[in-house]
Amino acid sequence: MFRWKATAAIVAVAALALTGCTTGSGEPAEGEKSTLTLGAFLAPTTFDPAGSEWGNRSIFYQTAYDTLLLATQEGTIEPWLATEWSYNDDNTVLTLTLRDDVTFSDGSALTGDVVKQNLERFKTGTSPAANFLADVTSVEAPDDTTVVITLGAPNPAMLNYLTQTAGLVGSAESFDDEDLATNPVGSGPYILDAEATVTGTSYVYEANPDYWNPDVQHYDGVTINILTDATAIVNAIKAGEVNGAKLTNNDSLGEIEAAGWGIEFTELDFQGILLLDRGGVNNPALADVRVRQAINYAFDREGLLEALQAGNGTPTTQVFPTTSAAYDAELDSFYSYDPEKAKELLADAGFAGGLEIEMPSVSVLGTTAYTLIAQQLADVGITVKQTDVALESFIADLLAPKYSASYMALEQNPDWQLINFMLSPAATFNPYKYADPEVDAMLEKIQFGDTDTQAEVAKELNAYIVEQAWFAPFYRLNAGYAVDANTELTLTPTNAYPAIYDFTPKG
Amino acid sequence: MISFILRRLISGVILIFVISIAAYTLLYFSGGNIARRILGQNATQDVVDRLTSELGLDRPLISQYLDWLGSAVTGDFGRSWFTSQIVVEGIANRLPVTLSIVIGATLLAAIVAVAIGILAAVKGGWIDRLVQFGSVLGFAIPGFLIALGLVLTFSISLRWFKATGYIPIETSFVGWLSSVTLPIIALAIGTIAAVTQQVRGSVIDALERDYVRTLRSRGLPMGSVVGKHVLRNAGGPALAVLAVQFVGLLSGAVIVEQIFALPGIGQMAVQATSAGDIPIVMGLVIVTAIIVVIVNLVIDLAQAALNPKVRLS
Repeated sequence: MFRWKATAAIVAVAALALTGCTTGSGEPAEGEKSTLTLGAFLAPTTFDPAGSEWGNRSIFYQTAYDTLLLATQEGTIEPWLATEWSYNDDNTVLTLTLRDDVTFSDGSALTGDVVKQNLERFKTGTSPAANFLADVTSVEAPDDTTVVITLGAPNPAMLNYLTQTAGLVGSAESFDDEDLATNPVGSGPYILDAEATVTGTSYVYEANPDYWNPDVQHYDGVTINILTDATAIVNAIKAGEVNGAKLTNNDSLGEIEAAGWGIEFTELDFQGILLLDRGGVNNPALADVRVRQAINYAFDREGLLEALQAGNGTPTTQVFPTTSAAYDAELDSFYSYDPEKAKELLADAGFAGGLEIEMPSVSVLGTTAYTLIAQQLADVGITVKQTDVALESFIADLLAPKYSASYMALEQNPDWQLINFMLSPAATFNPYKYADPEVDAMLEKIQFGDTDTQAEVAKELNAYIVEQAWFAPFYRLNAGYAVDANTELTLTPTNAYPAIYDFTPKG
Repeated sequence: MISFILRRLISGVILIFVISIAAYTLLYFSGGNIARRILGQNATQDVVDRLTSELGLDRPLISQYLDWLGSAVTGDFGRSWFTSQIVVEGIANRLPVTLSIVIGATLLAAIVAVAIGILAAVKGGWIDRLVQFGSVLGFAIPGFLIALGLVLTFSISLRWFKATGYIPIETSFVGWLSSVTLPIIALAIGTIAAVTQQVRGSVIDALERDYVRTLRSRGLPMGSVVGKHVLRNAGGPALAVLAVQFVGLLSGAVIVEQIFALPGIGQMAVQATSAGDIPIVMGLVIVTAIIVVIVNLVIDLAQAALNPKVRLS
C-alpha cells in the first residue's frame, strides 16, 4: 500500500530544507556577513598583472589589486595608489608620488621600486594592452614614494592607462610564484580565497582587513560567478542568485525589469562597417571618398537599430564616444538615409554600373545583420561578396589584412586611446596603415598640445574622419548591467564592467 | 587471467597514445590564431607574436606534441590557455558535477521507468494509455525546454531549488541536492520515456508466457509473480537500453550544464573546444579515453565471471 501521507510529509520537509538553502542574496541579517554576488561572462585569463585585461574582465583585477590612479564616474582621473602626479614642460617625464601606507596581501610594502618592476613587466608582458606603455623608455624609483616615468614622446592617454591594466600593482615578491596566474597578490580591497575559488567558474574574495581605504569596502566578501549562457544569466537574476550581472544582450530587458531589477546602460561599442582599405590597396574603389560616402548614405540606421537591437542604442555616424572631447552631437546624423544621393555619388566616382566589395561574415554577429547590410548596399548598386569566416580566424584575417571592409563592433575608448586603436597609421584597426597628411598633422597637435588644444583638435579630427567616411558606423549599442533591489550602482561610463567600488548596499 | 588483463592494459595504453596524436593534430590544424583569440581584438600584433612564442605555438607540430607528451606522462597536463587553471585540477573539480547528474539521472530513470513500465503492463486500460502518452510526450519535448520549464517553476517561482551553479556534496548535502535535482530530472525525462516503453513491452511479453499462467493458477499473488519471476526475464532488454542511454546522457549533460550554469566537464569541453584551449581539450580527451578503456575492461571481466562461455583464457 502506498503511504501517501508519509510521502507527502517527506516531500514537504525536503522542500522546506531546500528552500532554506536557496535564499537569494538579499540583505544580510544583523551579524551576518554581507556578500556581493556578481555575474560576469568572461573569466580572467590570468591574475598576473602583466597579462591583465580591462573591459569585461576589469572586475577581477580591481577587486584584488589597486591601480596607480582611479577613473571616476564623472570621467575624471583621481589619486589612488599615487597621491600626486605631474609632467615636465614637454610632457615626456611623469613623476608620481605614492602612498606610504599600503601593504600587499603577502605583507610586503608598496614602494617605488615595486611600481617600477610592475611597469617594466607590463611593458614586456602579454597583456592585450601591453602597447599602452610602448612610449615608456625608462622607469626610475629614486625613493620609496616616488616613481619617474620617462616617455619617448608625449602620450596624452598615459594617465588614463594608469587607471587600467597598466596601472595595476602587484607584490614584487609574487612575480616568481608559478601560482600567480590563479592567485593574485595585490593590495586591493578584497583578497582572493584560492581555496573557495573554482577557477573559470566562481571567484570568491574576502575583504582585506588591512586595506588602506576601508571607505570603499562596502561588503565583507565578493563572489563573482562566470555565467556564459544568456539564459543562465537571466535565470540567476530572476532566482535572486546574484546581486548584479552584466547582460550579454538586450533580449530579456522586460523580464528582468519585471523581476524588480534595475538596469543601467552605457554606450561603449559602436557597430557598423569598417572601411579599412581607404588607400584602395585591395579594392581601388574604396580609395575614392565619394564611394565611402555613398556607403554611408546607403544605410537606414534607425531601421538597422530597430531590426538588429530592438532600438536599444543611438544611431550615429561617428566613432568617438559621447564621453570624449571629440564628440559632436551633430555628427550622429551627418549621413542621412539617402539611397538616391548614394547612387549619384557612385556615378560621379565612375561606378554607375555598380561595384563589388568583399566582406567577411562570422556567425556570432548574427546572420540578419549581414542580410540587411547586403540588401541596403545592393539597393544603391553595391554588391557584397560575403565570405564566411571561422570565428577563430576572424580578427586575425581582418588585421592581416585580408578584407577591404567588414561589419564589426569596436570599443569606443577615450580620445588618444581610440586614436591609437583605430585611426593612427600604426593603429591596430588601421591594418592597411593608411595615412592622411591632414590627419597626421592633427594627431601631432593632439600629442604635443596642451589640454585645450587637444580637445579642440580632437573635435576637428572627428569631423574630418566623418566627412572622409573612414567608417560607416550604424549605432552606439546600449550595454546593460542589471542590479537587484538591494544594490545601488552608478556606472563608470568608460568601462564595460562597473568598478567594484561603485556597488553599495541600499539603505 | 593476469595475462589477459596485462594484454588489455597494454592495448589500452597504445589506444590512448594513438588518440592523443589524432586529437593533438586535429586541434593544431583547427585552432586558427590561438594567441589572437586569447588576447582579443585590442592587442597589437607585437603582443600577439610575443604570446605565440611564449606558448611555443611558433614551433612545428611534432615538437609541440612531444613537449606536451613529455609532461603528460608525468601527470602534468599544463594550464588552460584561457583561464590559467591547472588542467588536472580543473577536470578533477568538474568530473564530480557531471557524474552527479549523469549517475543521478540514470538511477532516477531506472527506478521510475521500471515502476511505471510494470504498472502500465500489469494494470493496462487507462493507466497504460496514460503511460504511453506520457512516454511519447517525454520523447517529443526537447530536454532544454524541460530544463527551462523546471527552472521557471521550481527555482524562479517557488524558489525550492537553485537555478544556477553547483554546491559540492562535501560542502552541504542539502545544497548539493538543491543544485542537482532539477538537472537530474531534466536529463532523466527522455531516458525514462525510452526505458519505460522497453520495460512495458518486455513485461507484457513475459506475462503472456506459460510459466506465468502456471504460477498464477497455483495461487501466487500477481505482485509476487511480477517481482520474483517476470522482472528477471524482462529486465535484460531494459538494462541494455539503459546502458545505451547512459552514454547518451553524457552528451545530453552538455546542454543541461549550460542552462543550469553547472561547472561540469560537458560545459568545459564545449567552451575549451570552441575557444581552442588545447591543454584542456587534450586533458579531457585523455581522461575520457582512460575511462572508456577501464569500463570496457571491467565489463569484459564481469562478463567472463558471469558467463562460462566467455572464459578469458
